[in-house]
Amino acid sequence: MMDAIKRYLRPEQIRELSLVFLIIVTLIFFGTQIEGYYSGRTFNRITTTVAIIAVVAVGETLVILTRNYDLSVGSIVGFTAYFVGTQLANNNGISPLAAVLMAIGLGAVMGLINGVLVAYGRVPSIIVTLGTLAIYRALLVNYSGAKTVTTDSLPQWLLDLARVNLFSVGAFDIRPMVALALLIVVIFQLVITYLPFGRRLYAIGSNPEAARVAGFPTQRIVMTAYVLCGSLSGLAGFMFLARFGNITVVAAQGMELSAIAAVVVGGVNVFGGSGTMIGALLGALMINTLEQSLIRWLQISEFWRDALLGLLILVAVATDAVIINRLRNLWARSGLQARPATETPGVQAQEEAGHDA
Amino acid sequence: MTTNSNKPVLEIRGIAKRFDTTQALDDVSLDIFSGEIHALLGENGAGKSTLIKIMTGVHQPDRGEIVLDGRPIRIGNAVEAQAHGIAAIYQEPMIFPDLTVAENIFISHRDQGAILGWSKMYHDAAAILSKLDVHLDVRQPARGLTLAAQQAVEIAKAISLKVRVLIMDEPTASLSAHEVTQLFKLAATLREQGVAILFISHRMEEVFEIADRVTVLRDGKKISSAPRAEVTPESAIRDMVGRKVEEFFAKSQAQRGDRLLSTRGLGKAGVFSDISFDVYRGEVLGFAGLVGSRRTDVGLALFGVEPADAGEITFDGKPVKLHSADRALQIGIAYATEDRRALGLAMPMSIAANISLPMLREYLSRLGLIKRAAEESAAERFRERLAIRAPSVRVEVARLSGGNQQKVMLSKWLNARPQLLVLDEPTRGIDVSAKAEVHHMINDLAAQGLGIILISSDLPELLAMSDRILVMREGRQMGIFTREEATQEKVLTAAMGQNRGTGEMQ
Repeated sequence: MMDAIKRYLRPEQIRELSLVFLIIVTLIFFGTQIEGYYSGRTFNRITTTVAIIAVVAVGETLVILTRNYDLSVGSIVGFTAYFVGTQLANNNGISPLAAVLMAIGLGAVMGLINGVLVAYGRVPSIIVTLGTLAIYRALLVNYSGAKTVTTDSLPQWLLDLARVNLFSVGAFDIRPMVALALLIVVIFQLVITYLPFGRRLYAIGSNPEAARVAGFPTQRIVMTAYVLCGSLSGLAGFMFLARFGNITVVAAQGMELSAIAAVVVGGVNVFGGSGTMIGALLGALMINTLEQSLIRWLQISEFWRDALLGLLILVAVATDAVIINRLRNLWARSGLQARPATETPGVQAQEEAGHDA
Repeated sequence: MTTNSNKPVLEIRGIAKRFDTTQALDDVSLDIFSGEIHALLGENGAGKSTLIKIMTGVHQPDRGEIVLDGRPIRIGNAVEAQAHGIAAIYQEPMIFPDLTVAENIFISHRDQGAILGWSKMYHDAAAILSKLDVHLDVRQPARGLTLAAQQAVEIAKAISLKVRVLIMDEPTASLSAHEVTQLFKLAATLREQGVAILFISHRMEEVFEIADRVTVLRDGKKISSAPRAEVTPESAIRDMVGRKVEEFFAKSQAQRGDRLLSTRGLGKAGVFSDISFDVYRGEVLGFAGLVGSRRTDVGLALFGVEPADAGEITFDGKPVKLHSADRALQIGIAYATEDRRALGLAMPMSIAANISLPMLREYLSRLGLIKRAAEESAAERFRERLAIRAPSVRVEVARLSGGNQQKVMLSKWLNARPQLLVLDEPTRGIDVSAKAEVHHMINDLAAQGLGIILISSDLPELLAMSDRILVMREGRQMGIFTREEATQEKVLTAAMGQNRGTGEMQ
């Protein structure tokens, strides 16, 4: 039994399953506490928020897998949301595709700047992206001239993305935006599982020195991760615009904290090398469910939100340090190390059994 | 033993490489045949690593060429080396701990297609490992694999890349005796499959166990290259050192004083047991043993870092408990570690700051501030006394050569004014002349009445420096030999126990 678990579940997957379990427990708990909790409204509020965070978290995961960080995502989301917002407000005729590409392209350029500095400039990523966090935000403040994009100036199709119903599951409506976010998560999960690029992201974060010696282009891969993270943040900026309509210069300020919290709570190792997109999505879901529910339940102020996020990050990292490392050791020790053939017929049999499966 | 003596698979012709002022390689030529294990010997700084780096594309030679199958090739980087079938494994395997064994094996493959096939990869990886007779679960993350298993994975990776020339750079340095045997079995399998192996090791007995041909480098030049049968350990050492070995180890007899430290039945569960010995003032007690003999663990126990859990320790006639390094320093025991980089020195800090670190308390002013002048003058004294070659004691330790770093580390512990000094591999990784200086210093310290425990894997060094030699094997004390009794033969026999057959000197 234990062997079967060890064979088919990695510690990381156990972690994700327990996160699903925790989310369910949270939902049940608040269901008993808040009247009318299981309503379409709660569902929509949570899913549309998660959709935006999840897209950013996917990008952040790509970067964190390589043992780097991107702190500038909040500023990129804010900047693209505002920039695309003003363009659409000035000209309602811009096609949806053009608007999306504009957001992604803008994010990609910002990500490229981060990526070049980190990968080729060899500046620590924390410093680079802390700098661009401030610079991108400052650009936005300058560009906007402290004006606000308002909902009524935006084209209807954009606002519908967060409001109309794509399809329904029972009483719960799925918004186009939420479907898009899920699609992104699935696509990038496949990318990191099945493309050589993904394998190498893990490899770089797992052992940067060995990655260099293994002879693949680590710099280009790290830069690509940043470009993708920027692009996804750009896309999230577009979604942010669609969801809120009113965009000020402080739009998405602090979103880097939510994104990193989602990634970390979702089990992506802050030292790179392990984690999944599914985990990051679950992390985003966990955090937002808790956040939204607590706000409704205790009517706590939004000011406590950041404290909550910070606490969750610390709890996640602490449990990882204690539990996941133990699990890993347990897995590593489970008799799967190299031994001469004569000593371990059991391992051999086990291996053959594995091939049949 | 040479199975294919007609044409070498790889020829190195007249390679020269210069770094700044040092001629790292000077007109070195080497023929490597398939199905042959070719040992490369040389002191540190002899040019072995430079040669490997040229073969794997890290450095470009200034002159000379590398010829593969009769055609000159250019090796611009690691990828090109791989493409030519040249791969290297190192003492510390370059493994990705979060990836599975199979992923590690195939990580460098370029032709894996646009989409990775997991089941095919697992299958192929298992096939390669079984061909090597290695039993590993390919789905297991590499995290937690033993060093030997990690090396097996690296070898499998090389094979998956159709390796023709495999460079093994001190692969056994961190392995236990049992793992070395496994590795040698692997190497023999590869040899049968026609792979050419360039094997680098500092352990003579290994070279003579496994190699078909022995080449010696010294000061960037090839000194000799001959089939193993024509080489003896003595002749190889002579070629490596260039002078008679004895010249390096001049032992001055110090007056043996009172008993300084004695242990009775010292043990630590699962690590070592029943270690009983005495060290006298003015005496050098050598600790001999192969890797895995747990000599270092005894040293760490005496320094209180990894305290023993059984037995008694008496220091200067009084029973003592050693539970922390702080306590050990207080009563006068210091331990200079073999791993300068990881445990010994704070590389980005200055010489002075490193030397004062364990005794920082003594360099504080009344306000609790560090007295830099006092610190630097103390460091300055050591710089003169040990001839540390550095422009100033404010220089960062990272910028010093290995030998000078070693001296800084010794200064650091001498500054604590110990009565007993445990030196763990004090001459590993430093060049010949620095070695001589360290030996000289050990003599001096003993003459001043310090007790010294010298842990060293360099047997000639131990024999020359020690008054008595304690031999350990797998956590057990095999015996103590006096200077008169001790011979290379006797000490090695004890160190290898009944395994003697596998690792004997020729």
